[in-house]
Amino acid sequence: MYRVIFVDADGQATELAANEGQSVMSVAVANGIDQILAECGGSCACGTCHCYVDEAWTGKLAAPDDSEQGMIECLMNPTERSRLTCQLKMSAALDGLVVHLPREQY
Amino acid sequence: MATATPKASVSGAAFEPLSSAFAQNPYPAYAALRDMGEPQFFPDFDMWLVSRFDDVASIARDNSMVRSPEFFMSAEEVHEQKRLQNWLDMPHHERFVQFSMLDSDGEVHDRLRKQVFREFTPAFIARQRGMIQSFVDKLVDSLIDKGEIDFVEDLASQVPGHIIGRVLGVPDEDCPQLRGWSEKVVQFFDINRTDERKALAEQATTEFYHYLQKLMAERRAAPQEDLITRLIAAQDAGHLNEDELVSTCMLILMAGHGSTIDVLGSGMHALLRFPDQMERLRQDPGLIHTAIQEMFRFESPLPFFHRYSTTDCVVGGRAFPRGTKFGLLYGAANRDPFAFGDDAGSFDVGRNPNRHLAFGGGAHFCLGNHLARLDMEVIFTTLIKRLKSISLAEAEPQYKPGLSVRGPKALHLTLTPA
Repeated sequence: MYRVIFVDADGQATELAANEGQSVMSVAVANGIDQILAECGGSCACGTCHCYVDEAWTGKLAAPDDSEQGMIECLMNPTERSRLTCQLKMSAALDGLVVHLPREQY
Repeated sequence: MATATPKASVSGAAFEPLSSAFAQNPYPAYAALRDMGEPQFFPDFDMWLVSRFDDVASIARDNSMVRSPEFFMSAEEVHEQKRLQNWLDMPHHERFVQFSMLDSDGEVHDRLRKQVFREFTPAFIARQRGMIQSFVDKLVDSLIDKGEIDFVEDLASQVPGHIIGRVLGVPDEDCPQLRGWSEKVVQFFDINRTDERKALAEQATTEFYHYLQKLMAERRAAPQEDLITRLIAAQDAGHLNEDELVSTCMLILMAGHGSTIDVLGSGMHALLRFPDQMERLRQDPGLIHTAIQEMFRFESPLPFFHRYSTTDCVVGGRAFPRGTKFGLLYGAANRDPFAFGDDAGSFDVGRNPNRHLAFGGGAHFCLGNHLARLDMEVIFTTLIKRLKSISLAEAEPQYKPGLSVRGPKALHLTLTPA
């Protein structure tokens, strides 16, 4: 089990447990993190599972592929730290990952 | 292709989706299906109906479940499928409707969706707000003092076609005929595939095709800032061929057309059936986003889509072979108490979270979802602001028959300006 920490727009942090290979999105949806809408269920097709990866962790993630990058560029308020949580899969290297939630997805 | 062993169809009285009783209220039949637990075989269309939220969601979101039989059947098997569905001998329909982004999967689907997805993302759609507001303002200006209107014909049906037309690059004056073609094509997706309905769909596709050919030629000669021009550029760059371009334009103009009209009508009807919810929305206009989500959940405008399994699978505790055709009942899933609680049958404009399936799931998740919601947000917000009261001027609005669409045929209202 790995830890992933969701910090909402008001700074409130929630630490949750994730399995090997589980997407950050599915951890959120399974645990009542309502700011992650994830309407398409994880296919990079809706842009509603957006998060801002914490600065301490951006260097530790593999770069987004073309599909994810294309969608990120078309989100409401993207920054260089934007990722789609359906594409972030938990592993030992990401144990303790911190992500920041937008106030609204769209 | 393995066919499912036929068994007794869904218990007689429970499931007659072409009946007028179902049209007026499908939800008891959906509840009966959900209560049966496992998927139920529907012999009329050789498919297994799936009605529970968890089962529908897991199939919809699983990209190994595909729309297109071509993905795993031989050419002969595909031909036989089409023959059974009365989809043969429709040359234009086969080229431009039966082949489309919607009815392809994997690399073909992804390539086509990649050409258009930007125009439908949150940031791009948000930029359309001003245009949509100004269009709706003019329309409401023309209706507000009429006293009585048919909300479906006079208002709802005037908006989605014009808005998507503008995004694509169709001139305003041509938008009304798009609606006619859309309806004639979409009606043939339903389960009663008569030859008469077939001829209508083929005729409409042919006319639509000739119209788009003309429009594409105009854009080649004089490019504009619109999606058709961008698609022509994508064609020139080798990303899609001409038939795919035509098919994609048709799909974009059709897919969100009737469905948005339908959910506008059923959404307004829900607010009127449950006046306490209308009042809540009046008191707190900030509820508009959750209210619209609830309209999609409560009366999902496209309640029925199919998938084929490309592997052996287990759904609802029952094993199915590769090649099983599933009928996903989004309208049933969206009222499942296991997903939405004991009040799943209630219309609650503040429901949050609202993880409904009205837009499907997976790679085929509704491309136009943000546009549909913005259309609805602008319309309902404007009407609530500009009308002191809205009331139903008929006893019982009639809903359209069938499984694949859900919306009122008409909705007569009495309006009082603010």
